[in-house]
Amino acid sequence: MSTFDATDKPVRRSLAGRRTRFGDLLLEGVAGAATAGALILVGLIAYKIVQGARLSVSTFGLGFLTHVGWDPVHNQFGAAVFLFGTAVTSIGALLLATPLALGVALFLTELAPSWIRGPVTALVETLAAIPSVVIGLWGILVLGPVLREHVMPFLHSTLGFIPLFGPVTTGTSVFTAIVVLTLMILPIISSISRELFLGVPSELKEAALGLGTTRWEMVRGVIFPYARGGVAAAMILGLGRAVGEAIAVSMVIGAATTGIHWNLFDAGNAIAAQLANDYSNATPGLWTSSLFYLALILLLFSLLVNLLAQMIVRRVARRQGLATR
Amino acid sequence: MPRNGKIVRITLALVAAALLGALAVTSAGAAGKHSTDTLSGSGSSLIAPAVAVWETEYTGATIQYSSVGSGQGIKNISNRIGDFGASDAPLNKPQAAGCHGCVQIPWALTATSPVVNIPGVGPNKLKLTGSVLANIYLGNIKNWDDPAIKKINKGLNLPNLPIVVVHRSDGSGDTYVFTNYLSKVNHQWKHQVGCNTTVQWPTGIGGNKNPGVAADVAQNPGAIGYVSIAYVISNHLHLAKLKNASNNYVLPTIKSIESSAQLVKAQKIPANNKISITNPPKSAKFHNAYPLATFTYVIVPTTSPKATELKSFITWALGSKAQSSIKKLVFAPMPNVIVKAAKKTLTEIHS
Amino acid sequence: MSATGLTPLSRPSDRLTRRRIVNRAMELLAWLAAAIAVAILVIVVWSVAKRGASAINLDLFTKTQNALAQFGIGNAKQGLANAFVGSIVIVGIATLMALPFGILVAIYVNEFAPRAIRGGVSLVLDVLNGIPAIVIGIFVFGLIVAGHGQSGLAGSFALAVLMLPLVARATIEVLALVPDSLREASLGLGVPRWRTTLGIVLPQTIGGVVTGAVLAVARVAGETAPLLFTTSVVGTQMNWNPTHPLFSVPLAIFELSEADDPSSHALAWAAAFVLLMFILLTSLTARWLANRSRRKIGRVA
Repeated sequence: MSTFDATDKPVRRSLAGRRTRFGDLLLEGVAGAATAGALILVGLIAYKIVQGARLSVSTFGLGFLTHVGWDPVHNQFGAAVFLFGTAVTSIGALLLATPLALGVALFLTELAPSWIRGPVTALVETLAAIPSVVIGLWGILVLGPVLREHVMPFLHSTLGFIPLFGPVTTGTSVFTAIVVLTLMILPIISSISRELFLGVPSELKEAALGLGTTRWEMVRGVIFPYARGGVAAAMILGLGRAVGEAIAVSMVIGAATTGIHWNLFDAGNAIAAQLANDYSNATPGLWTSSLFYLALILLLFSLLVNLLAQMIVRRVARRQGLATR
Repeated sequence: MPRNGKIVRITLALVAAALLGALAVTSAGAAGKHSTDTLSGSGSSLIAPAVAVWETEYTGATIQYSSVGSGQGIKNISNRIGDFGASDAPLNKPQAAGCHGCVQIPWALTATSPVVNIPGVGPNKLKLTGSVLANIYLGNIKNWDDPAIKKINKGLNLPNLPIVVVHRSDGSGDTYVFTNYLSKVNHQWKHQVGCNTTVQWPTGIGGNKNPGVAADVAQNPGAIGYVSIAYVISNHLHLAKLKNASNNYVLPTIKSIESSAQLVKAQKIPANNKISITNPPKSAKFHNAYPLATFTYVIVPTTSPKATELKSFITWALGSKAQSSIKKLVFAPMPNVIVKAAKKTLTEIHS
Repeated sequence: MSATGLTPLSRPSDRLTRRRIVNRAMELLAWLAAAIAVAILVIVVWSVAKRGASAINLDLFTKTQNALAQFGIGNAKQGLANAFVGSIVIVGIATLMALPFGILVAIYVNEFAPRAIRGGVSLVLDVLNGIPAIVIGIFVFGLIVAGHGQSGLAGSFALAVLMLPLVARATIEVLALVPDSLREASLGLGVPRWRTTLGIVLPQTIGGVVTGAVLAVARVAGETAPLLFTTSVVGTQMNWNPTHPLFSVPLAIFELSEADDPSSHALAWAAAFVLLMFILLTSLTARWLANRSRRKIGRVA
């Protein structure tokens, strides 16, 4: 109710009212349409992938997930080799990246002198900004040869009794892919963990220290339990990132579709990488449909991972209020 | 309180940007048309060096070629991405159907060949037979000092080194030729793996297109791969000699490839130009023939808005000048009967 | 061991020493972890810089690839001018597509949507954000490209799909930061809802929106997968018409990385270096903008 209302002529007022309502409706309509568009987009993506996969799903059913082999000549397709490769590379990367990321996060929140904190934080987040194709390039031309000539033979000679560390033949291998993925998911896990650790109420930390715990015991007894859920979410997000990474992995993993090998130093393949390699030349029919089936698996997994992680992260963030930077 | 002008400006900016965005999105669907003086094609990496030479010499339309592998070339032209596709592998039935009215025209003749990276073994020194090659790629022979390899390479110092098998990771005409040959010389290969642009390789690592395989072979000691001959020369890879059906160990040269191509004289060329000249049989005529020779095709829709430009380009490419300018890349001149068949197929294209 | 049952004073300090050692060891491990992380980054950036910088010259930006030189015929100078131009066009158009869309979605979510829908839309945006880029590429191929042909616009659309959740989320966050008192004051004065939103609330958020846009650009400038099937069949000529397929820097790096000859590798490193520098600068700019706008909003409240 404006103080000017009393002086407005009635005619002008009702016109102003209609124009106002129209403007409001228009904005709400356009913005709502945009939102509806976004919702439709997601639905459309899901629909297209499901539709594309239909032929393969009806032909192979769930057996697709366990069938080993990808044979366009005999029209026999199975996801097992790629599921295995994705599992090994992602879980391997997670195992390597999580301790590193937690270490970095702890360093930044508890140990670093204040003048180091800013630069190191920025540096670690810069790692996240490097495009996957550049990491792939570095992986093929720099990392691969170094791993093949020094690291992998060393691991094989010391740990060769474990089937994971079998004979070394090539620089493009599952192991190279694991290292590359570790690099890529490290920043995600570390930056989320860092924010979580910062959010631990200082009273709790000081109470523990006041009782005479060493800093490590405080971390183990206060910070880790408090941040447990959030760190789990961070790991899940990192896992999701690793699973969805197509380009860098396809460049270094060696594109071997020959079965399930436990030797990390062999070439291998992964779901996203196979999509990048094979989609461009698949003939329409069962071959392309099987690729859509792979894409469907990827889609479902990524959705699951992200939903789970977002749920946890949002619950944790709400609990801690706005995170301090 | 902000003046009207600012609101109006912001609103107009938002609306304009949204309209632009919507326009861009909707026209993306209608996009993909090209100007009339450009011919764009994609596909076989085997023919890519030849097309590169032709690009500079052809005075008609501007040729734009993207080397993506035969498999993708077929898929692209089936989706009418580009004006022509190039493939060393002839279209199989599903592919021909999926292309919705395309013809394949042989426009060059060359070979794929095995290359090796064995420390201590120089170029053109290693001898291989079809059987040994098949067994290496089947994973039955795993080391370079295997007796089967040593037997045919007496006098060569073969190291105790695991064989790193390299194949193509993309859909490849070279793969088609290679597996076509292996299917003819090895029973197990024929039934277990078969012949196609992509197969289920029993072992090995995959490189992307010819350069990828060349890189993988060069970077891995003990590697063996198969590469179009033009890439062997430009990348200084070490060729291996291959034994033909007449029991001679041959290298891919213009002469040995031309010799293999004589095989077409014994066959009737089908209407779809699908010909295979791998593994010519034992005979005096083929005593020097190279077993992995192949024609390579340009794939064109019979109905195309660029029909005129396509026909003049392909006619030119089939001509003696164009064919001789790619001889230095080890593309052999095609037999007359093939050139005739090609020109005949060309008449089926119209706008 | 004490006969009297008293714990000697030395016992607790043994335990204490052990605890201190463990503590020190963990501290060292944390320092080590940080050092490794920083070292990795330095190694990667240094590799790219060293190999890339030496291959950077004017030709990189003025010439395009030479098909013959790639096969060892002749030694024409090569460059990636068409890739740089293509990337600029593709990313630019993608931003034009995603920015108004994202802002409108954010406006709806924050200003108009009932609480129930707000959560749902947020969820959908998160879901969209989590879809792997390769799946988006396949989707756009099936939607726009199949049967019609590739184009820079199709590539832009794929990138815009990736950018949308980033822009929308950033805008939602800054819109939420604008205090309700501002909106209420404006509405109380009789300003209609739409004018309030567009003329008062939105201008406050420009800084945050721009930051979000810049971050989204930094994110998609290096994406390869969405372009792989939508705008990859290109020749070696210069082209900036978005209705044709355009070359792009990430795709150039992807293809050149798998070649065998050193000149292709040199081009790849140079392109990677330029791309990396662009993304780092853009991220730094976004960070600086974020700090600035946060300070500004703090002043308004």
